[in-house]
Amino acid sequence: MAISAKIDVKDQDILSSLKDFFRSILQLEDVSAILVPQHLPMKNVVMPTLVTDPEHLDGVDPLAPIFPVNTAKVVSRLTRKPAGGKVAVVLRSCEIRSFIELVKLKQGYMDEVVIIGIDCLGAYKNTDYFKFVGEDVTESTKKFYQSVLSGKGAAMDDVDLSSACKACEYPVPDGADIIIGLFGLDTNNQLLVQAKNSKGEELLTRLDLPDLEEPQARPDAIESLITERTDYRDKMFAETTEATNTLEKLTGYLANCINCYNCRVACPVCYCKECVFVTDVFNHEPSQYLKWAIRKGAIKMPTDTVFYHITRLAHMSTACIGCGQCSNACPNDIPVMELFRTIAQRTQEAFGYEAGRSIEDDPPLSVFMEDELTDVVGI
Amino acid sequence: MNKKIGKALVVGAGISGIRAALDLAETGYGVTLIDRAPHLGGILSQLDYQFPTDRCGMCKMLPLVDRDASSQYCLRKGLFHENIEILLSTEISSVEGEPGNFAVQLHQKPAWVDQELCTGCGACVQVCPVEVPDLFNTGLASRKAIYLPVPHSIPNSYVIDVTACNRCGACDEVCPTNAIRLSQQERKKFRILVVDDELILRDSLKAWLDDEEGFTVDTAGSGQQALEQLEKSTYNIMLLDIKMPGMDGIEVLKKAKETFPDLNVVMMTAYATVETAVEAMKIGAFDYLIKPFDPDTLIPKILGIYEKLEATRGRELQVGAIVLCGGTAYFDPATGKDTFGYGLSPNVVTSLEFERIMSGTGPYQGKLVRPGGGKPIKKVAWIQCVGSRDMQTDADFCSNICCMYAIKEALVAKEKTNGKLEATIFYMDMRCFGKSFQRYRDRAETDHGVCFKRGRVHSVITDDAQGETSDDLILRYVDIGGEAHDEKFDMAVLAVGQRPSPGTAELSEMLGIDLNEWGFCQVEPFSHTKTGKEGIVIGGSFSGLKDISESVIQASSASLAASGVIHASGGSITSEPSLDTDFADVSKDIPKVMVAVCTCGEVLSKIIDTDQLTTRLMTDPEVDQVVFVEQTCTADGWESLVELVEKHKPNRVLIAACLPYIYARKIRELGHKVGLNPALIDVVDIHTLLKDKIPKNEEPSGFDAFDLGLSTIEMGIAALKHLDPSPVATVPVFQRALVVGGGIAGMTAALAVADHGFEVDIVEQGEVLGGNLNWLKQTLEGHSTRTLLDETLLKVEKHPMIQVHTRIRLTGAYGQVGRFYTSIEDEEGVVNTLEHGVAILATGGTEAGTTSYGYGSSEAIVTQMELEMKLSENKIDYGQLESVVMIQCVDSRQEPRNYCSRVCCSTSIKQALQLKEKNPDLAIYIFYRDIMTYGFTETYYTQARKAGIIFIQYDIDKKPQMNVTGESDKPLRINAFDPILGRDIEISADLAVLATGVVPRLPDELALSFGATVDQDGFFQEAESKWRPVDSLKEGIFACGLAHSPRSIPESIATAEAAAQRALRILSRENLPAGKVVAKVRHSICSLCEMCIEVCPYGARTIDTDLEQVVVNPVMCQGCGSCAAVCPSSASILEGFTIRRMFDVIDAALSGALN
Repeated sequence: MAISAKIDVKDQDILSSLKDFFRSILQLEDVSAILVPQHLPMKNVVMPTLVTDPEHLDGVDPLAPIFPVNTAKVVSRLTRKPAGGKVAVVLRSCEIRSFIELVKLKQGYMDEVVIIGIDCLGAYKNTDYFKFVGEDVTESTKKFYQSVLSGKGAAMDDVDLSSACKACEYPVPDGADIIIGLFGLDTNNQLLVQAKNSKGEELLTRLDLPDLEEPQARPDAIESLITERTDYRDKMFAETTEATNTLEKLTGYLANCINCYNCRVACPVCYCKECVFVTDVFNHEPSQYLKWAIRKGAIKMPTDTVFYHITRLAHMSTACIGCGQCSNACPNDIPVMELFRTIAQRTQEAFGYEAGRSIEDDPPLSVFMEDELTDVVGI
Repeated sequence: MNKKIGKALVVGAGISGIRAALDLAETGYGVTLIDRAPHLGGILSQLDYQFPTDRCGMCKMLPLVDRDASSQYCLRKGLFHENIEILLSTEISSVEGEPGNFAVQLHQKPAWVDQELCTGCGACVQVCPVEVPDLFNTGLASRKAIYLPVPHSIPNSYVIDVTACNRCGACDEVCPTNAIRLSQQERKKFRILVVDDELILRDSLKAWLDDEEGFTVDTAGSGQQALEQLEKSTYNIMLLDIKMPGMDGIEVLKKAKETFPDLNVVMMTAYATVETAVEAMKIGAFDYLIKPFDPDTLIPKILGIYEKLEATRGRELQVGAIVLCGGTAYFDPATGKDTFGYGLSPNVVTSLEFERIMSGTGPYQGKLVRPGGGKPIKKVAWIQCVGSRDMQTDADFCSNICCMYAIKEALVAKEKTNGKLEATIFYMDMRCFGKSFQRYRDRAETDHGVCFKRGRVHSVITDDAQGETSDDLILRYVDIGGEAHDEKFDMAVLAVGQRPSPGTAELSEMLGIDLNEWGFCQVEPFSHTKTGKEGIVIGGSFSGLKDISESVIQASSASLAASGVIHASGGSITSEPSLDTDFADVSKDIPKVMVAVCTCGEVLSKIIDTDQLTTRLMTDPEVDQVVFVEQTCTADGWESLVELVEKHKPNRVLIAACLPYIYARKIRELGHKVGLNPALIDVVDIHTLLKDKIPKNEEPSGFDAFDLGLSTIEMGIAALKHLDPSPVATVPVFQRALVVGGGIAGMTAALAVADHGFEVDIVEQGEVLGGNLNWLKQTLEGHSTRTLLDETLLKVEKHPMIQVHTRIRLTGAYGQVGRFYTSIEDEEGVVNTLEHGVAILATGGTEAGTTSYGYGSSEAIVTQMELEMKLSENKIDYGQLESVVMIQCVDSRQEPRNYCSRVCCSTSIKQALQLKEKNPDLAIYIFYRDIMTYGFTETYYTQARKAGIIFIQYDIDKKPQMNVTGESDKPLRINAFDPILGRDIEISADLAVLATGVVPRLPDELALSFGATVDQDGFFQEAESKWRPVDSLKEGIFACGLAHSPRSIPESIATAEAAAQRALRILSRENLPAGKVVAKVRHSICSLCEMCIEVCPYGARTIDTDLEQVVVNPVMCQGCGSCAAVCPSSASILEGFTIRRMFDVIDAALSGALN
């Protein structure tokens, strides 16, 4: 029987309960560290922190509506090789799914991590968060989660969830070893803790938490949330397709691109040590630029912007989990996520693949089938 | 003393000939591959789809190591290999000498079209006025007298059908390269003397042969005159009447031959004196003609003789061994008496005709329409065993492959019609005995709805009730219960059986080899390849029709035997091709490109402005020279190009001409002559491209053509600039083999390798060698397996190069081709490591166990193996036996063991015949599903039926029921349904024998430790079942014997020899050269995601955990580029295909398009 337990909430202070829960995990003998988002004492921003001392968990704030980096990349760095101790990592659903992709690409390993996922309430774009957050970060976070969990929505003070979060149909972190459930619960009093596999069970058993059956309201709450998100998503797909369905339109869509490659740096599944776009391959001969210009009369500089995005789509769209960090990182407000998710939907569907779903699913390009994509190849 | 000759002759360039030639060439021998046809590929050139994959894949036979020694494109289109000389339209005329040193005389038909000059442009076909049936399309379409023998060869040169050609000369006039040698002068030089006492005959022959055909003809009215005439002039042939007053023909022949021994004399005779003519042949006449003549039959005959004689400028060849891969012919239903309406209705076709109907290059471009009337084909009947298993056509044999090809044709036809076509196969036994074939058959029935009807078609008639225009057919057939049916079909396809290849009898007489009673080559006991004559071996279907997989296995086995003979007689292998290492390294120099453009006479200047071309090309500062050469394909043109290169000394040369593949050899020569690495010389095809792009009969629009030509050349320049001609990598070979398993297959493989001078370790887990031969006694044919075992054991034990390890467990293995390390452990637990360059898995198989049919509940129920042992140990009281029941397909040919074990039917027949021989009164009942006496073992099935053995067919859902009565007399009672009687029967028996079939003994882990895998039944998984049947996908690992698939002893031996041959290919070299195009890893930017390892189909990539690097074995890498495609950061790249180069080529290609 899978473990389903509860964490008590006092004074409607979810963050304190989570802090206590994480501390109890860190105090387990075999857990060396916990990777958890905290607001940093020096600034009102929330970042993942690697904590070994239980006394350093005061700023625990996984519910803040900000998502400055996709932590999967951080976990990948921590687990690329044996680190010498077990680390509990607190991740959002999309971060878990990114990490699953990275593990398939041998950029990280599951062996020494225990993944704790929290029902995701979503986040604002970084710039919007800074408009939203007040002096007391904890209070801001509380304001946010209380609004969301009470059904009043995430939009407030002229800011709203990022479009990636609005289109996210994975609010529950199914890939985690342990899930902390918020949806469909009386979060003023208690949170749900569930082990999703033996690794999670093994850990939870030792915490000896009181049992709690999953309330009836939870599946319904999740389902309605997913329906809402999926509707948004499908509308987004339709709009993006319409906006990019010719080369001219696509060029226009990406016209703001300045080749800063921030989207690639922010992308959790863009794992190359050195991107081909920063190698000499794209440092063309000066005479080549001139040749192109002569041929066409005029060319946009810098060159290779559309090529860059198409290449990244070719390389990464089968692994895209839709976290939206690309859009978050774009200095010129190009809706990169919308484009990537729209394409990814199609490429993943073509291979019957869903990025981030399971460690068991092999990446499409590593699988060879004699008969596949017959409608594309025509045989 | 024998001369050392490391050469072999392979006769027949079908699939087995190509396999044998490639095997020998890859081992390092020089090979001459001949075929009497003007094209390669044999029957397979006509077949587009082949079971059991329903597609081709012939290219998988191409060399995997030292790839650049061979062409690397569609093998169906052509083959080039450094060590193979291919002579088409060529036959053997005589063979002398001894094994290891044969002198072979070849004759090659004259090429009326110079194959070196013909560019395949096809202008000749447009103007040729003669239309004749196209034999490539089995006569279903027509072709011209000048034609392409197959539509897909590279290079594809035209040939002239001399017997059809009317020598109008139209083709000669239009040929742009003057390749056609059909001029009047050629024939005028051929002098014929006609000798006959009848004036009218002399005159008409002169009129036909001189005036019409263009030969020089003189006549003589008597023998005396003829002799005088011979003194005056030289003649190529003399047509000589036999019956003449005065000196008769025979006398003239004798006298003429005394003075002119080389004169070719063709006797002319009336039918009555044919015997005299035959006598005349014995005293030196070349041929004879039967009067009366009519020009339509006479002229082709004379032309045939002309062609043959013109060919006697043939050549002599010294070879160590001869491999005969002559293939088979097929039964011609037209020769039978009204064979299922063949010839009467156009919609009754042979299987080969149907293959052509389905082919995209066929008479209907692959559309499934009927030959009669062109209606779409909707309902087809396949009639099996036409000219096979048929006493009336003297065919007491099975042709092995017809069941499978009928299913394949049905499946392909269904696929082409989106499953709508209705397919019915009428058969006696469905002989799907090959690996995976039973499942293929089952899928055809269950997944694709092919209808299988057991029964004999009596006749096929046209459906006259539909009116005279109807070409629909009515099949009358009798089902197994004896009931007659009429059913309407659109078409009937006759699955025609094998017949000996034409000329087999003559060849066997010339070479002194035996034929079997049906005229196929007879092979020695336990061998599929050895003839009675040492040094002359058989490959493929020449000894009976085979599917591709078996043909390929036997071709490799034959090349092993040939190699053994050459090796034993001291034949060295040819020198290894020199590597292009001694050239100055110019790869870092600034490119200095010479562009040499072939103008193809005046063709180019008519299409594009050559001055402008020069100007445009010279804008690239790295282009040093643009030169124009009139015809690079001619000797003169090439010579002028060589001079230009010598003069200007460029460091790269681009030749813009046509047909790049014909330049490979010339480029190598040019490079060596001028000291430039041939890798820096390339050819691009501009002419074919321009020709295709310019609409026929239209003035070329100049501008487009110019851009096209320019961008093609610029692409070539871009590609050439970025070339890095670094020397190819090699991998050292530890020249020792490991054979796992010491049964007959393992021992055979080990001996074959050891006989070539390489050390071999045999690892056997049992106490003794010999495997299943330890309990077998003799074969169905009556050959003693005991003798085979004893002889083989003796050879193995005495062989200085073989080390046997018995009672040994194999605990692990790792490594790659060239060097493997295998750990073994003996019974005391002592561990040892064996080092080897290749491994052959011969772990064998055994009889399957069973609990079916009450096995284990009565001593009267035994397996085939148990009966075999009782028989050999004489433990049977024959007198006591009255009734024996044998049950075939026990637990087999049904899931989970859904395959045929091949040997059980013939074993039952063997045992039944043995029992019958001891006790003729014994009643024997064999319950079977399909009797699998394939090939020439069919005759034993006939014999068994004649001996009174009762065969009762049963269906899988109506199996016989075994009841153990417990009584001492007739302890068994079998209840079953007899479909012929149409009722239930009951048999009381003293003994029941269960044919449980064969299971492999190849543990998963063992296979995996060598990088091989097993299939769903536990047999070795081949790299490709048809084309690489004994190879693992991982190079250097091979399998044979029962571990590979169920097989008879000779079939097991054939796989063992094939595996040894494949292994010798590697062992015979100290270093294996990789191909030029191999992948490598730029470690500094590699993220170690290992996707490249996942996608590499050849297992050439591994991760070195110590170095933290992905490493590539350059020999195993085939340069397919999958790794480069999957690698997002271009850390994995393909040598020569740098991104920069590809970009430049693309830019060059676009520059023309966008101008």
